[in-house]
Amino acid sequence: MAYLVPTIDGAADEQSWDPGMIKVNVVTREGTRICVEGTEGMLLMEAIRNNGIHELLALCGGQLSCCTCHVYVDPIFADRLPALSKFEDEMLENSDHRKPESRLSCQIPCTAELDGIRVEVAPKD
Amino acid sequence: MSSVSPCPMQADEIPENVPADRVYDFDLFNMDLKDGYQEAIMRLQHPDRPTLIWTPRNGGHWIATRADFVTEAFRDPIQFTSKMVLIPREAGEKYNFIPSHLDPPTHTPYRALVDTVLNLRQIRNLEKRIREISIDLIEPLVARGQSNFTIDYADQFPIRVFMAMVELPMEDAPILVRYSNTIVRPPGNTKAEKMASFEGAIQGFYKYLDPILNERRGKGGRDVMSIVIDSEVNGKPLPHPEALNITANLLLAGLDTVASFLNFVMIFLSRNPAHVKQLVDDFDLIPRAVEELVRRFPVVADARTIGEDVDYDGVTLKRGDMILLPTALKGLSSEVNEDPWTVDFHRARPHHNTFGDGHHRCAGMHLARLELTITLQEWLSRIPLFHMTEGSAPEYMSGIASTVRNVRLEWQPG
Repeated sequence: MAYLVPTIDGAADEQSWDPGMIKVNVVTREGTRICVEGTEGMLLMEAIRNNGIHELLALCGGQLSCCTCHVYVDPIFADRLPALSKFEDEMLENSDHRKPESRLSCQIPCTAELDGIRVEVAPKD
Repeated sequence: MSSVSPCPMQADEIPENVPADRVYDFDLFNMDLKDGYQEAIMRLQHPDRPTLIWTPRNGGHWIATRADFVTEAFRDPIQFTSKMVLIPREAGEKYNFIPSHLDPPTHTPYRALVDTVLNLRQIRNLEKRIREISIDLIEPLVARGQSNFTIDYADQFPIRVFMAMVELPMEDAPILVRYSNTIVRPPGNTKAEKMASFEGAIQGFYKYLDPILNERRGKGGRDVMSIVIDSEVNGKPLPHPEALNITANLLLAGLDTVASFLNFVMIFLSRNPAHVKQLVDDFDLIPRAVEELVRRFPVVADARTIGEDVDYDGVTLKRGDMILLPTALKGLSSEVNEDPWTVDFHRARPHHNTFGDGHHRCAGMHLARLELTITLQEWLSRIPLFHMTEGSAPEYMSGIASTVRNVRLEWQPG
């Protein structure tokens, strides 16, 4: 089964659907919609960055010591995410753009139940 | 001078809970630093070496040699308390800075106060001021074509940033530089003399701060000192001596650690023009480069005090024993980071313990990162290529916070 994956510059490529991959629908800061894929266990942050969306800076590389992998997660997926830890909560508090759907994408591993998840890259602080 | 070697001792000199084969001669204050500090401390780690070893130096203490143990210890304040966080024990007993020597739950409200003034949002608000300070220190150097970076910048910058945070007049900078130099490098020929210099400078600093704290109480100021003096802990106004203590901690915690780190970074950049070019060609890379440099040049090794007797790694740690937890062990371990000694500004996951972990994870880390980022931005935009002065050599000194001085740089005058 093939489906169209819009690439970052707008052109679309045909890709094969790999059942082992988790699809992540990303909306960038300027509103571009891109579908990327991550493997099971990979962090959501890595799935996003590894597929060329570098505006998600993720400076500390996932050590919960910055706020630059901040995303808004579609509320439909909220109960499928790991619980918000105290450290993550404190870090998110420092963002001027925190919303109820805010999460740090380095704290979310890609799992089968997140297949098709929709996230938006939060504005830069 | 010690490296890290097994150390045969008389049976009656070793504490009874220390197996003879765990005894190593390791002196944190007297390491073989000819290759540099990080290189020296990482000699603790060896695939055949047990996780826990013990040294008779500095009053006798355990040393962790593996990162996962260090991380676990930092995250377990019940087993690894902050009753004493410095070696030797006498220094640990005297050290009473808040919140560094406290454990939860006492620690919690004080840490919350410190986080109020040092969190990411607060630090973002300081950016403009920090940048001005950096530019004021760098600009006069550009035409000279040379600098002892340690004295001209590293010794000056962190103290001035602190002064901006607490809104002290810049004319007082020389006084504070003198106090802080004496505190971090107390002069003296003997331990007693050094202790006296140290305590004299701390008292001098408290005497300087005292009237200022009193003057700001209740005025609703938004500078760090006003926030501290007007704060409440456990529903009561923060006592004056604790306000002095916390203010002093805020100063000292970010002084020689930041200065030291700046020195290490400039040594590296002065010897690696290809890395400098990467940054000059793309200033957007600087924040990511800072994180990788933070990983590569950790400077702190502090300690914890064992809370209750506990067995680990085949030994019994006894209540009251001290254990050294070198932060370098994680970031520079090949089990955590591939090719750890290489500085790679594009490293995806530069994982490290440079800022520690757990309840006492460095509250100033956002400030530290911003200070580094701004320094590199302002330096490289004016001095895009530089090298170490021929014939000069950096001078390393090891301790709880290890340092390097005498970083002499040269460049084409702009």
